[in-house]
Amino acid sequence: MNKKEIAANKLKSLGTNIIEEVSQNKVPYIKVPSRGTSNILYDENKRHYILGDRYGKRSLGNVKQIKKIAQMVYMANFCKDLVEREKTATLRELYYVSEGWDVDFGDQQESNIIGEDLEVTLGMTREDLGLMPEEDGASVYGKLKLLEGDIEIDAMRAGKSGYTISPTIDEVEFVEHDVKRVIAVETMGMFHRMVQEEAYKKFETLVVGLKGQAARATRRFLKRVNEELKIPVYICNDGDPWGFHIAMVIISGSAKLAHVNHQLATPDAKYLGVTASDIINYDLPTDPLKDIDVLRLKELLKDPRYRDDVWITEIKKMLKINKKAEQQSFSKYGLEYVVDTYFPEKLESME
Amino acid sequence: MARQAGELFEEFQELTASEFFRKNKQMLGFSGKIRSLTVVFHEFITNSFDAAEEAGILPEIKIDLKRVDKDHYILKHIDNGPGIPEDFITRVFCTMFAGSKFRNIQSRGQQGLGCSGCVLLSQMTTGKPAKIISGYTENGKLKGVQMILKMDVKTNMGLILDKKEVEVKETGVCVELHFKDVSYSLSEQGAYEYIRRTIIANPHAKITFRDPTGRKYIFNRATEIIPPLPKEVLPHPKGVTADDLIFMAKHTDKRRFRSLLTSSLSRMSTKRVNEIEEKTGIDLNKRPKDMKWEEAEKIVDLFSKMEFMAPPTSGLIPIGFDQIEKGLIEILQPEFVTATTRKPVTYKGGVAFIIESAIAYGGEAGRIVGDQRKAEIMRFANRVPLTFDQGSCAITEALKSIDWKRYGIKDLENAPITVFVNIVSTNVPYLSTGKQSVAPEPEILHEVRQSSMKVARKLQKYLRAKKAAKEEEMRSKIFETYVPIILKEAAALAETGIPEYEHVLAKVTRRAKAELLGEVVDE
Repeated sequence: MNKKEIAANKLKSLGTNIIEEVSQNKVPYIKVPSRGTSNILYDENKRHYILGDRYGKRSLGNVKQIKKIAQMVYMANFCKDLVEREKTATLRELYYVSEGWDVDFGDQQESNIIGEDLEVTLGMTREDLGLMPEEDGASVYGKLKLLEGDIEIDAMRAGKSGYTISPTIDEVEFVEHDVKRVIAVETMGMFHRMVQEEAYKKFETLVVGLKGQAARATRRFLKRVNEELKIPVYICNDGDPWGFHIAMVIISGSAKLAHVNHQLATPDAKYLGVTASDIINYDLPTDPLKDIDVLRLKELLKDPRYRDDVWITEIKKMLKINKKAEQQSFSKYGLEYVVDTYFPEKLESME
Repeated sequence: MARQAGELFEEFQELTASEFFRKNKQMLGFSGKIRSLTVVFHEFITNSFDAAEEAGILPEIKIDLKRVDKDHYILKHIDNGPGIPEDFITRVFCTMFAGSKFRNIQSRGQQGLGCSGCVLLSQMTTGKPAKIISGYTENGKLKGVQMILKMDVKTNMGLILDKKEVEVKETGVCVELHFKDVSYSLSEQGAYEYIRRTIIANPHAKITFRDPTGRKYIFNRATEIIPPLPKEVLPHPKGVTADDLIFMAKHTDKRRFRSLLTSSLSRMSTKRVNEIEEKTGIDLNKRPKDMKWEEAEKIVDLFSKMEFMAPPTSGLIPIGFDQIEKGLIEILQPEFVTATTRKPVTYKGGVAFIIESAIAYGGEAGRIVGDQRKAEIMRFANRVPLTFDQGSCAITEALKSIDWKRYGIKDLENAPITVFVNIVSTNVPYLSTGKQSVAPEPEILHEVRQSSMKVARKLQKYLRAKKAAKEEEMRSKIFETYVPIILKEAAALAETGIPEYEHVLAKVTRRAKAELLGEVVDE
């Protein structure tokens, strides 16, 4: 069974359960796994966050819950139709479509939450259900050919800004590649530097420009590249707690999406830099840590995802030197330095 | 050249009461145009009530207020009381302090200046005489007399300008007076509101009022029970002053001070008198008239240190919670009303009082401000509305200190609520000469709080039940709305037909109702 059939079946079973219960004169209910912080657990084996087994019951007999059930079945019907017709809709479109329904949503926030309820209840991502995020994913440059429908895309021939990962990345097939690794960078500035300096050639790599916090589609892309093409993923961000965390969400997933992390997290991805050690070793231009940076670093120390010794050492070191540095700070030694010197040295030490 | 004292004192002259008040009319309450008219209404209405009740008649009053010029009004006040015998008419309407004596009795009257004060105001502002018609029975015969009167302020006596016999249909008094410098207002302090509140606290009375625009208001009585007449009770030792003792000593027919004390004060046993004699060293066997001020002071000082039984409360006649409820229902047609009458207690250790509280919600309760109903506080002392000086009054203070949120009233100011408080006492402690606000004696504050909290609790119970009923209705509506939708959508999802669901719908509705009522839900 492919993902579409699974999604359609699961959606159908939601309706079947209700109809069967009512036929037996029972009051039907839906089990919705709890998304509260106490039900979000870090799985040491899987190395990402997962949902625990606590759940809430939504009963048809409860005044406060019955409207949510109505909203869920309505949305499930809408999604089933999307999946069957191989269409997608954004959450915003879904919200406007719901205006014509017999149940309404107070605002888009309310419809987004029901969407998440549907995801966790069925154990599917919203992309599986035909619901797409608004924003595009990251930019990809390098020797990779993809097939989207019947159109072949070459990530080397999609212009200097590369191929933009589509929200429907799961529909895309990897056809051909000639790379040994993936390097994802936080800023588009660094992305363009690497394209200009032909880093893709030098390191036989795909260059991915994350544009800050990685979108769901980007994370899904990185996971698929890592697992399907079996090539290592490196992440290079700013050397500060925020850069660390952008990398960690790619590696171990976020708490908020605990129910779909198994499809999004890339536990084998590695953080290449900028580390506190890099700041010292390369004598990078720095800014002092702000109060909020210090606070965030201390939070990271308590976070189970940072339990690795290397992370703990680097975080403590940054707190000690009380400094942070941006990716672009290598320019101190010339624009080419980062590609000519930094990346080769770092990759060598990590591989 | 300096004048001699004798010359100066040639101009010194004694003022009669009438003359004094002519110069100080604000002391009669006649300050401000609106307030002056309210005081006039108060004096005539109170007099009519007292007269009717004493004669065992259910009071019925007709008031007609005409405006002849900007602030020139003619007031016609007609009652159904026993009337006034011809010989007493001038005393009632033209003599200040008529009948004033030391009496410890619960009364509506606040200043005792009454009708003569109103006649004085009329005469001072318009120069016109008063027209009085009195119908009364004499030797079993109905008699009627009409008088045109003026007040001679120099002598504090009435001048009869004209007098004739007239035919009357029943007993009662009709007064017609001209006033200037007064103003009719619909505000809280105005005459109309005064009548409305009076009727609430006196549900046995009927008042028909025609206002200056010609509009006729009929305030019907809500009960046929004439309240029992208050009895005079002896003052309690803790409630008297040295001056009171001297006054009693002057007016008594007792021959010894000892017997004066036991006969003029309550709770004064021989044992207590002996105790006083022993502790003060004053010979109580001497004649009352020989009592010196210092001695009276010494005795009063001792009273405050001695222990006495609480004062008798037989002289206090509350309106009664059921009568208050009737009055509020008649006038406000509220959605909910409740009242309570507390047991008598004392303040300052010796003055008995009773607090009565009521609360009315919805209907015409509350005061209309703009297009919204806001809470209003109605204060009364011995059934008389207190409409001025609200801010400084103990009743207001006590009500404001209550945490209304605890009683389900989120915002008292903006709730359609009328809070009614009546203080009943032979001696209401007023804060100022206007007698419009009650002094914050701790016991009074406490009683107002307790009684008002009790009625608030009842209102809370009502509001809760109302909310629950509304919720129940909302709940069954929710099921009726959503169950069919869910089944339609679920059937579409399951790609099957919609099953019979009436049974499940009935089940959930029934269960939700049981839950609301706090009953155990069986699965």
